Amino acid sequence: MRRTATRMTRLLAAVAVLLATASVAHAQSSTPSAGGDLVLRVGVVSDLITDNPWAVSAGSDWAVVTAQYDMLLKFASEDASPAPSLAEGCEPSADYLTWTCTLRDGLMWSDGTPLTSRDIAFTYRFVIDHKIPQYRSYFPSDPTFETPDDRTLIWKAKKPTFAPDVPPWVYVVPEHVWAEHEGADLKTIKGVPNTPSVASGPFTLTEWTRGRSWTMERNPYYWGDRPALDRIEFRLYTNNEAMVQALRNGEIDFADGIKPSLVGPLEGTPDIEVQHVVSDWWLNLAFNFGGQGDQADPLPALQDIRVRRAIAMAIDKQEIADVAYQGTATPGDTVIRPASAFWHLDIPTDQELPYDPDAAAAQLHDAGYVDTDGDGIREDPETGDPLRLRMPASEDTTGAVEAGQLIVGYLRTIGIGVRLEPASDAKMNDFWGSGDFDAYLWYWSGDPDPNYQLSIFTSGQCGGWSDGCWADPAYDALYQQQRTMMDRDERLQVVQEAQRYLYDHLPGVVLVYPGWLQAYRTDRFTGYVPAPGPDGYLLPGYNYDSYVELRPVTTAGGSTPAPVGPPGWVWASLLGILVVFLFAWLRHDRWRISMEA
Amino acid sequence: MGYVVRKVLVALGTLLFVLTFNFVLFRVMPGDPVALLARSERLTDEDVAALQESYGLNEPMLQQYGIYLRQVLSGDLGVSLRSPQTVGSMIGERVWPTVLLVGLGTLFATMIGLAIGIKGAWRRRSRFDRSTLLGGLVLYSMPEGWLGMLLLLVFAGTLGWFPAGGYETGGLTGVDRVVDIANHLFLPVLTLTLGYVGEYALVMRSSLIEVMDEPFIETAHAKGVPDTWVRRRHAVPNALLPSFTLILLSFGFVLGGSIIVESVYSWPGLGLLTYDAIRQLDYPVLQGVFLVTSAAVIAVNLIADLTYGYLDPRIREA
Repeated sequence: MRRTATRMTRLLAAVAVLLATASVAHAQSSTPSAGGDLVLRVGVVSDLITDNPWAVSAGSDWAVVTAQYDMLLKFASEDASPAPSLAEGCEPSADYLTWTCTLRDGLMWSDGTPLTSRDIAFTYRFVIDHKIPQYRSYFPSDPTFETPDDRTLIWKAKKPTFAPDVPPWVYVVPEHVWAEHEGADLKTIKGVPNTPSVASGPFTLTEWTRGRSWTMERNPYYWGDRPALDRIEFRLYTNNEAMVQALRNGEIDFADGIKPSLVGPLEGTPDIEVQHVVSDWWLNLAFNFGGQGDQADPLPALQDIRVRRAIAMAIDKQEIADVAYQGTATPGDTVIRPASAFWHLDIPTDQELPYDPDAAAAQLHDAGYVDTDGDGIREDPETGDPLRLRMPASEDTTGAVEAGQLIVGYLRTIGIGVRLEPASDAKMNDFWGSGDFDAYLWYWSGDPDPNYQLSIFTSGQCGGWSDGCWADPAYDALYQQQRTMMDRDERLQVVQEAQRYLYDHLPGVVLVYPGWLQAYRTDRFTGYVPAPGPDGYLLPGYNYDSYVELRPVTTAGGSTPAPVGPPGWVWASLLGILVVFLFAWLRHDRWRISMEA
Repeated sequence: MGYVVRKVLVALGTLLFVLTFNFVLFRVMPGDPVALLARSERLTDEDVAALQESYGLNEPMLQQYGIYLRQVLSGDLGVSLRSPQTVGSMIGERVWPTVLLVGLGTLFATMIGLAIGIKGAWRRRSRFDRSTLLGGLVLYSMPEGWLGMLLLLVFAGTLGWFPAGGYETGGLTGVDRVVDIANHLFLPVLTLTLGYVGEYALVMRSSLIEVMDEPFIETAHAKGVPDTWVRRRHAVPNALLPSFTLILLSFGFVLGGSIIVESVYSWPGLGLLTYDAIRQLDYPVLQGVFLVTSAAVIAVNLIADLTYGYLDPRIREA
């Protein structure tokens, strides 16, 4: 028995030593072999839900599809205006009924097949025929398409239009891949897997492990400048602190979507640069005017613009930006987000509704809303009911609930009671549809072109996109007018008038424009192209220019990621301790038995 | 034999009940999975209605239930409502990482916990016992998310010894890949082990203390049996029974994942899959995951039931 024990111990010791040496050797050579490939490693916080261009909805979906596919015309990096892409340009006829687009020469798909105007016509017809929701608003009044030759696309509209020049945010897909799915229903189309994909952009999606990572490889048939990058690897981090940590350690080169609270310490770090991306969404306090259905029973006082104005004046937007967003947001005014720089109307400070709770309280008082029963809440003179708002706030919208908590305080000061109800987006959807709320806090994001964002405030959208079924014929007229104007500068006048109208008539209050935070290592890659404008997204975003332009900082080429794993001596000593412990334990028992026997 | 058959039938019945209960539970949750997409996917009311139609969400509840049962019996767990992937493959992708993480964590926690519990009970009120009791309680009552973040910031952050999350670096093969995954696995498993070692230590300790007071232990000592023998051959086997059930059940729950630890370490496990599916109201995925977890727990419970009778003859006689 004693002999077996000693042999066992010796065996264990030998194994442990072997493991220790092996792991020391590996710990020191655990850098993945670069193999000469230039790889950009990106950390993201939202998962890729789908690789199918017809089913895109969440954050990473758009980023991936934007990097792979081209559009007829792309969003220029400077200001998101239309710029040549697959088409060198699109010219309208004098009556704006016919647009002729000329494609570049020599376009190809990533499988070597030529890309022709027929692919674009196919894509657009596919969107129209199958009513693909994300894209079909770009084809007003169902235009038709003709392809007299490989490089010419003719867009024929029934009414004068500027639709091709918007440009249509529709990704062009290969006919030879998608034609077999024509006639299928939307669910089937959305369910078609698309990895590896056939696309025309600089990179294609070649590998995808849900919940973990996805990889894009360079497309050798890309029509533009050859990118320096060979591969882009995306990694999902479910923990924002961990992602920032990975950036500091050099495990990743780029971090997309950093929490505002983590940015402060990051700004001072050498070799790391933070990009405060100008907002392309905004936080909205929407008022409900009723009419969605029998569950919609909002506070009648909200119909009174004096009440809405008082509410707007009692809200300290700067404080919301500072507290709920830790300074990474800016106070908002108009509904067209700042990222649409050409269209966004910035109301001059002297014309803005001031933050003035005292004046707000006075205005409510003068309008007849007085606290008759001394409970601190004003009563409606018509109905006698207290001014109490039921206010859902989206938990899935960054900062919405925190802003709501601040608003509860602001409105209490002027005598309006608020019951804040944090809700998941699933529940928010129910509120939206049923109208069972008085006001709510949610987001709007919109497009580079203002048409969609302006449309949601029209009376026709009650039961559709409208938050609270606000209806104003004067506004409807403004909206219709800008839809038909062909000249960009003339249209701008009307678009700005529409924004001003909304600002003055308060179907809701545009609270803040939250920024998006990206950070990158300056010692790895250079050449990021922000879009739109210098405060834009460094990585898609709106176009894939960054991926094409990125160059390594060191001429040594190949990125050498930090070795993963603790230094060899850690493993060796851990195993050493384990060996000693096991040894002592076994010997101890043997000793005790022999002593007691 | 009849004993075994009876137990198996009860297990199957339990599974069916769980299936039905889950089905109803998810349908009762507020929100509509298709309408949820309306804002982000620009769906109009007709789009929503058409999609609901094609997903069969408009059918009467009983019909949906019937379809569901038929699918499950033929091994088809359905297709995710959000992602173009079958539920089966979604779960399949995450089973191994979950087993690695929670399985290893549970294994180490039980092994180390039992050892500490045994030693602590046998040398009650010794320095070892007092310190491990305190340590175990402190660790067990610590929120594992907090513990995980702490370990992450110290070992992955300050020291830089381990990666800050994820399952693997990617692009590696063979032994390199195994080592890489092991490096990614270290901190999450450490978190789970530290978090749960206290539980097993405490249970083992208290049941061993109870056994130690039994007359037959005193008899063994009086007979002159060496102390270590008494502990190993007489006391511990009898004290193991409560821990045995606890351990088996813990292993049954392995497939449930550990959503907090997975979230801290970006570990692609079934816990996070469940959480995401709840937020997105992805019924087929939720049903699939709950089915798998329930089946695992019920199966393990059945094994525990059957082997308990073998381990403890007193049960069999009853």
